[in-house]
Amino acid sequence: MTVFTPPASGLNRDAGPESRPVPWPGMLWVTWRQHRGLLITVAVVSCAAVAGLVSAGLRIHRDYAQLTACHPAASAACQSMSSFFNGTDWHQGQFVHVAVQAAPVLVAMFAGPPVVARELEARTFHYAWTQGIGRVRWTAVKLALLGSVLTVLAFALSQLLTWFYTPFLSRQGLTVLTPTVFDTSGLSYAGWTLTALCLGAFLGALLRRTLAAMAVTLGVYVGLAALTWFYLRSHYPVRTFWPMQLFEAGWLLTLSAALVAATIWLVRRYAA
Amino acid sequence: MSVLTLPAQPGQETAPPPVPWRRMAWVNGRQHRALLISVPAVLAAVAVFLVVFGLKAHHDYAALVNCPLDPGRQSGACSKMFSNFNSDDWPLANTFAILVQLAPVLIGAFAGAPLLARELETGTYRFAWTQGVGRERLAIAKLVLLGVTLAILAGAFGELFSWFFQPFLWTEQMNRLTETVFDASGIVFPAFTLVAFVIGAFLGMLFRRVIPALAATLGVYLVLRLGAWALRGQYPVTAVTGNADLAGSYGTPGLPGYAWILSTWFTGPGGKPASRPAVNAILGQYQGSPQQKLSLTSTLARQGYTEWTRYIPLSRYWPMQFMEAGWLLVLAVAIGAATVWLVRHRAA
Repeated sequence: MTVFTPPASGLNRDAGPESRPVPWPGMLWVTWRQHRGLLITVAVVSCAAVAGLVSAGLRIHRDYAQLTACHPAASAACQSMSSFFNGTDWHQGQFVHVAVQAAPVLVAMFAGPPVVARELEARTFHYAWTQGIGRVRWTAVKLALLGSVLTVLAFALSQLLTWFYTPFLSRQGLTVLTPTVFDTSGLSYAGWTLTALCLGAFLGALLRRTLAAMAVTLGVYVGLAALTWFYLRSHYPVRTFWPMQLFEAGWLLTLSAALVAATIWLVRRYAA
Repeated sequence: MSVLTLPAQPGQETAPPPVPWRRMAWVNGRQHRALLISVPAVLAAVAVFLVVFGLKAHHDYAALVNCPLDPGRQSGACSKMFSNFNSDDWPLANTFAILVQLAPVLIGAFAGAPLLARELETGTYRFAWTQGVGRERLAIAKLVLLGVTLAILAGAFGELFSWFFQPFLWTEQMNRLTETVFDASGIVFPAFTLVAFVIGAFLGMLFRRVIPALAATLGVYLVLRLGAWALRGQYPVTAVTGNADLAGSYGTPGLPGYAWILSTWFTGPGGKPASRPAVNAILGQYQGSPQQKLSLTSTLARQGYTEWTRYIPLSRYWPMQFMEAGWLLVLAVAIGAATVWLVRHRAA
């Protein structure tokens, strides 16, 4: 995607005058204004999730420490602790884990498609895309801002969840390579969040309708996740945790970059 | 809504003409054709997969049921078959089960939220709501026609899924009354779909915007679902209290699960409530002993202890299905009425 750059004459409406720097504070404000509903919801839900994870996690870690220190294991007191840990604690752990796994696609479904589709659907692109910044940079900067906020949040959440979930691994016969555990640890979770967002933005630009793009985003994401679980991961050239995490983050990042490039290509093609 | 029908007299205030159902159906089909094509298409694609994979699962299960479970008599081939069933068939089936749990709210939210909110968002309500048919009847026709269509589709899909999931009930210690299984079968599954759809329509009318209504529908549905789970143990069906060896009957292959256990407790010698540490001591010894010749029930009985269980037998499945579908239907009608009330009082 090389762009022919003549001296700024106001004619290059696609890319905007290259000499002018990106007005970051201005774009930051516009992005916040346009997506404040989503960003406020995500912030509130994240705070509630962190509070819940920390308080439940502290209890689970305490129960686990008591259980592992309990001797002899066959004694009544230990059996009672074990049944509580494998019952109440484990059910809560599973519920939290499923909710956290669903979060990336749910957030991306509401964040991604509107970036382009909303402007097209509401006809606001006539105004938005004819500003000095240029439509390509307009789209790229919004995606970069939303992408970095959500990816950083997702990374932090996954680290917290990994700490929360560790006590269950040995007790429930899970390993760090179990698909559900692998998904929510290391770099993988942040990678999936970013990919879901870029997928949503791309489908929004392709279908030009927010609602349809939301539904398709969900379907494609589930398909891609299932394919990764049941097929792709067993064909990775690496077999241990960190190399696998790096490999997965690598291909997810490549896919995200390709989706952003495709989105921008679509945005450039539309007549404003 | 009884309608007084007089001969049409021009120039006079007359009762509205009868509902042109056929044309209303056409308008509905036209406005929501993307939905009416995509929902059956997605369900059909998943159904094909369920049939193909379900036949394999049933085949594996039939072979498994003919194997003895008793560790003493179990052959290597049988235990291998058992572990293959758990490691190959179950993860995929579990993934399907989770997605099917989400189906009612996804169908309901994507169909319900835009039903009326889109007309408001795009401004087409100025045209649509000022037609001769009347805005309330337009809204009712939309809710009824689409709601019934989606409920029928969901019902058929739920039946197929129940067949598919049958083999896993026994190996995963579930039964037809287990929360997630009960939700995805019978008439409760279409009832949840209908309620999710009506909630979406109501919130769309309340917020007048599609996307916030869609997001809120997901949240409200989650609360409703958890509420339904909490309520289910309180249904007026006869719960049985007994000391039969329920866990023992679980050992019989082909008999999917036992009953839905509400609570368990122990009585000690003389019929007095047993203290938990005393029972735990016996359980600890039982689990610690390498040779489990006696069942847990007889081990407890030897020391004068009895395990009591309060449970709902599987035979109460249909009464409970009717009760739950009943209150969900009442709720759907109430939310639908509230939606129509909002339509009537929204200035056009």
